[in-house]
Amino acid sequence: MKASLKLVVLVSVALGLLSACKDEEQGFKASKRPDVAPYMGANDGFMAKGWTPGNQVSWTQEINKRNQNQTEYSRIK
Amino acid sequence: MARMKFICDAERCIECNGCVTACKNENEVPWGVNRRRVVTINDGVIGAEKSISVACMHCSDAPCMAVCPVDCFYRTDEGVVLHDKDICIGCGYCSYACPFGAPQFPTSGLFGMRGKMDKCTFCSGGPEANGSVAEFEKYGRNRLAEGKLPICAEMCSTKALIGGDGDVIADIFRARVVKRQTNGKNAGANVFGWTTAYGKPGEAPPAPTKAPPGPQGGKS
Repeated sequence: MKASLKLVVLVSVALGLLSACKDEEQGFKASKRPDVAPYMGANDGFMAKGWTPGNQVSWTQEINKRNQNQTEYSRIK
Repeated sequence: MARMKFICDAERCIECNGCVTACKNENEVPWGVNRRRVVTINDGVIGAEKSISVACMHCSDAPCMAVCPVDCFYRTDEGVVLHDKDICIGCGYCSYACPFGAPQFPTSGLFGMRGKMDKCTFCSGGPEANGSVAEFEKYGRNRLAEGKLPICAEMCSTKALIGGDGDVIADIFRARVVKRQTNGKNAGANVFGWTTAYGKPGEAPPAPTKAPPGPQGGKS
């Protein structure tokens, strides 16, 4: 009983001493504001038609559709 | 969705600078700042003169992010490298680190005070609310949130500059290269790359070719 109590005290002291060795976060990450995903929509009156803001799948489909406008091989058949 | 990327097809770029103009107009980029520009090499060398449109390439392991002392950069889920102008201190480290010269700095005042960094946002704004006036004034239009692609790529007249989902635009470019190859033209790295620009080691650079005579008496 006495030995285990001694062990607990020793471990506690060791942990207490080692806690001084940890690295504190010093980056500026906390000040960085989170960005809103583009599929949430812009609500600025210039939205492309054919997709639903907030729906990631429909946004991806709209972007992929516009991607295909950049190749004549799929536009002109 | 894969990462958003740009590819410029040097076989198609005609150095019209339409992408540069469209970018400046769409984003109301300040005077003296070009988020995109067209670079031409081997001017006047027939068959070797090539142009490419260059802006931020939204690197997967962006050196600008690595060197920024105030950590103002972030990468969106779409792989677009953006920055927060409220954190940027305008030190210019990113412009030294960037291999494409993408970071730009507006200058003002008698001693050319350097302002906050400005660069291509892949037309996806910044950390302000999507489509807000504050976002537009700091970063320009947020076309991605409008369900559109960057204006430079969407309006390119020859479709030399293509932008969007990296996998999709790689497929588009590959189809072109295959088509060229079936038509008997060089393809891939043989068309434009390091050897076109700088020659092979131990080999003389491409010799200038005499231009054919133009129309007589006419003004260009």
